[in-house]
Amino acid sequence: MLVKIEEIRKAFEKDISSVKDRASLEELRVKYLGRKGQISSAFTLMPQVPAEQRKSFGQGLNILKNRIEQQYQALKASFEETSRDTGRIDLSLPGRKGFVGRKHPLVAVADEIKDIFRGFGFTVEDGPEIETDFYNFEALNIPKTHPARDMQDTLYITEDVVLRTHTSPVQIRVMQRQKPPIRMIAPGRVYRRDTPDASHSPFFHQVEGLAVGKDVTFADLKGIIQAFAHRMFGKDINVRFRPSFFPFTEPSAEYDFSCVFCRGEGCRVCKHTGWMEISGAGMVHPNVFRAVGIDPEEYTGYAFGMGIDRIAMLKYGIDDIRLFFENDLRFLTQF
Amino acid sequence: MRITYSWLKDYIHFEENPFALADKLTNVGFEVEEIIPLVQPFRGVVVAKVEKVSKHPDADKLRVCKVSDGKESFQVICGAPNVAAGQYVPFAKVGAHLPGDFKIKKARIRGIESFGMICSKEELGLEKQSDGIWPFDEKYPLGADVYQLLAEKQDYIYDFFITPNRPDCLSAIGIAREIAAITGLPLRMPKVNLSSVVSNHSHPLPKVTIEDSDGCPRYSARIIRNVEIGPSPQWMQERLEACGIRPINNIVDITNYVLMEYGQPLHAFDLRQIKGGEIIVRSSRPNEKFITLDDKERILPESTVLICDRERAVAIGGIMGGQNSEVSSTTKDILLESAYFKPTRIAFSSKKLGLSSEASQRFERGVDPNGIMEASDRAAALMAELARGEIDQSVTDVYPVRIEPKSIRFRPERINRVLGSHIAEDKIVTLLEGLGLSIKGGFVTVPTFRVDLSQEIDLAEEVARLLNYANLPTHHSVQIRYDLEETSSDRLLAFLRDELIHLGLQEVFTNSMLKESEAELFQNGKNIRILNPISDDMTTMRPSLLPGLLKAVAYNVNRNMSDGRFFEIGRIFTNYQENELPQQPYALAVVITGRRYPESWNNPQEVVDFYDIKGYVENFLSKIFLDNFHFILYDKDSYMAKGETISIETGQHRIGLCGKISPEIVRFFDVNQDVYGFELNIDLLAGFLNQSRPYKPIARFPYSERDMALVVDQSVPAEEILSFIRRTGGKLLHFTDVFDVYEGDKIPAGKKSLAIRMRFQSMEKTLSDKEVDKIFHKIIKECGKQFQASLRK
Repeated sequence: MLVKIEEIRKAFEKDISSVKDRASLEELRVKYLGRKGQISSAFTLMPQVPAEQRKSFGQGLNILKNRIEQQYQALKASFEETSRDTGRIDLSLPGRKGFVGRKHPLVAVADEIKDIFRGFGFTVEDGPEIETDFYNFEALNIPKTHPARDMQDTLYITEDVVLRTHTSPVQIRVMQRQKPPIRMIAPGRVYRRDTPDASHSPFFHQVEGLAVGKDVTFADLKGIIQAFAHRMFGKDINVRFRPSFFPFTEPSAEYDFSCVFCRGEGCRVCKHTGWMEISGAGMVHPNVFRAVGIDPEEYTGYAFGMGIDRIAMLKYGIDDIRLFFENDLRFLTQF
Repeated sequence: MRITYSWLKDYIHFEENPFALADKLTNVGFEVEEIIPLVQPFRGVVVAKVEKVSKHPDADKLRVCKVSDGKESFQVICGAPNVAAGQYVPFAKVGAHLPGDFKIKKARIRGIESFGMICSKEELGLEKQSDGIWPFDEKYPLGADVYQLLAEKQDYIYDFFITPNRPDCLSAIGIAREIAAITGLPLRMPKVNLSSVVSNHSHPLPKVTIEDSDGCPRYSARIIRNVEIGPSPQWMQERLEACGIRPINNIVDITNYVLMEYGQPLHAFDLRQIKGGEIIVRSSRPNEKFITLDDKERILPESTVLICDRERAVAIGGIMGGQNSEVSSTTKDILLESAYFKPTRIAFSSKKLGLSSEASQRFERGVDPNGIMEASDRAAALMAELARGEIDQSVTDVYPVRIEPKSIRFRPERINRVLGSHIAEDKIVTLLEGLGLSIKGGFVTVPTFRVDLSQEIDLAEEVARLLNYANLPTHHSVQIRYDLEETSSDRLLAFLRDELIHLGLQEVFTNSMLKESEAELFQNGKNIRILNPISDDMTTMRPSLLPGLLKAVAYNVNRNMSDGRFFEIGRIFTNYQENELPQQPYALAVVITGRRYPESWNNPQEVVDFYDIKGYVENFLSKIFLDNFHFILYDKDSYMAKGETISIETGQHRIGLCGKISPEIVRFFDVNQDVYGFELNIDLLAGFLNQSRPYKPIARFPYSERDMALVVDQSVPAEEILSFIRRTGGKLLHFTDVFDVYEGDKIPAGKKSLAIRMRFQSMEKTLSDKEVDKIFHKIIKECGKQFQASLRK
């Protein structure tokens, strides 16, 4: 039986001398050291070996196995050595890149807002940016003599056509064409006659919200704003409502969120008040319902607004609104 | 509006400290925007006595003083003319810290040492400008800390934001009335007792005629004689200054004081200047001129309410008095006006005149027509008290049609329905009565000072704000309807935007208002101009997104970021017609400039050209599933470069242009490198997007390829050859494209060689070489005939 060991050794010596590459080295390993390889199968012959030879057969086979193992490892190492020398690449060099596209930060924020409200069952609506006096003011219970109509605030195309000063005209357009129930938001660009500075831009972006139904209440308004605040900025954000005045809502409110930076503790960003003013809201004024032919005795509704730019500024700690419209790549590529 | 904390205490005995009160007022709708302490903190200033004053040997205007704080004496140099021995003064020692971060150090002034400073009120932050040092009226204990002395009398200025619906709260009493409603404490109005100060002489009543009773429903006039003009008392001046009103003299100050107290604007005329002692209220005539008391001559808008005497105008009603009749230092007798003007008339004139005053701001929002005599009495009493005036017994009060309190329907259940609350009826009644409203038989009577309450819904707000919005219920769930239909193009825009981003383009937002010259370059029709633009840079609505994008390119290129891949989605404004809204379609535009690949060790250094932008447009249109579009050469004069621009067409419509932006235009925007771009009208495009797209089966059999190089005239467009091949190849030709173009000396001049690959494929079987070659040779032959093409050897 020892002859068998010698056979395997000779065959191996012959095979290893013809190994030229990693593939044939691997074949060699499988042939001799694999689970069904020559060494393993030789061990299976053990029971047939006469008892007095078994010990030397086993020892001889083990010695051969170790020898093959050593030769195999040595050859393997030498192959690796060669490949590192010849096919070496510097993996630390930057990869081959193309240009990367990104959303404008205001779009990213508007998308988030739309996502949240669509989840609350709101539809997304739209309206023209150049509007008639009727939609921008008259139907919203802002008569000709109202102080908000001062030339200071509104940009006019003609005496009767304006650049919309808010997204509220979309409320009117939707209520005109759709019967209650209505649950909608309307994001879009609005215009004011403001000289640009860090906190003013002559054009900026708002989201209008409106819900009309048989039992829509101020309590629902408080609920939706709170739910929005929690989704947008986290569960620990508090919401505060303060009485205010808008001609198209009654009761009217200003709403504030606890500061998203200090979480209400008071910091530089919130001027140590712990609060950040967000925007206005209220119950749809009966005069607005009358202007679109909805019976205020039958239906009630709430409306709210919020500034997309303002929320984006809060979210990212941006202190100059003009950054959004300068389109500096060093700014835009951060979002 | 500014009012001090202590002033409010004149009318109501509340307990709240200044900050707690501000919170409460904010919670009921009177936002305190700022709380300003009257005394700014400072330290190191003590009461000292001036012991000796002598002239500075080297300066005429300086004095060398010796002051004592009771323990020590100090030598100080003082420049104030009013310093005198014996005065008790605020003395800032060396090391003192004054408002405005001003530290006192030892100094040497013209050779003489000075150890500290005798302070003026200005230096202590107590007034804007002082004429000299501040000698105390009282002999305070020497060495006492001056800040501590003042802080005992510390007061706070509230800067309120009063919403335009609440003119009644543009006054101290108005705010106090709200505090009464919140706290339930009684309001104590100023005691005005005229009986003791009314003169016994019987003078004729001032005659008042109202010709314009629309503009002026009520006018009262009374006369106060023999006033002594002089400064008003310190306390009054301080309160007016805290409100931001400049003290002038006792009479004018009293009218302003009562304005801030009651919210009723008053006007004091010098009776001597009122010709005939008679007042006529009329509308202005066309082009009438008037000099207001700020010495400006103004042309009055038509139907401005004018206050006149027998001969001339003496005031613009409710807006501003006239120079010709103002109170001066020689005034003896006063005619005091207290009137009610119609809000819309005042608003109109004030806007047209561009003249806004404390008076006009209140009248245009609405004062209490039934409160004017109370304010007049208060002012008259103060004139008697503070200017030794004698008040004529009678008052002329012309009020032909009394303005009655409004009555509003009142249903507590309606209020609860709007608020989503269950507030008990008696609670609601108590709250409303606390505001001075009276309730009877399902109706609420509203006092005339509350101009904002006119409908039932207004009562809901009153109840809500007095309860505090925070205490009203909040609903955490609602029923949602599934059948609401979304009508906007928002999802389409989001889809298009995503595809553009995937192509590696950066989104930008640009101004929709352009300089006229910028808009003009991209204009097809008539400019849409803004009547009252903010500046010359923003006069015209954008007819295209390209100018904004070019500005974004310029901004970045000029800051050494010269590789740009930008897009914008937004409305453009076109086709303006009189009396109609302009068309405002959504558009999308892309511009690219600079390198083809980002600068990197392993990217080639190449700049973009026409085929880059065409590639973008092709990729984009295929990604958004626009069916049946084609390109045609666009060769007109425009903002696009001639010869490098194509029109993107679908059906009969041009949906946009694509190519090189005209170099002249690019230079106009201050960019000195090539810019390529395209712009598409989304509203037009939307109609051609393929909404239902069943999938096409995939061939199960191998395809065969054939290549050929066709030599044709340079002028033959490749697309023409390709579409000819497609037609000729029939349905087994699955795909064809140009994979190389050669022009050069290996082929005849004026020719180009197009290497074209064709892929043949059958859905039913594997095509044999024979079948493929048959079609291939037919294509070669037909191309040869059609384009005079030969195969390149």
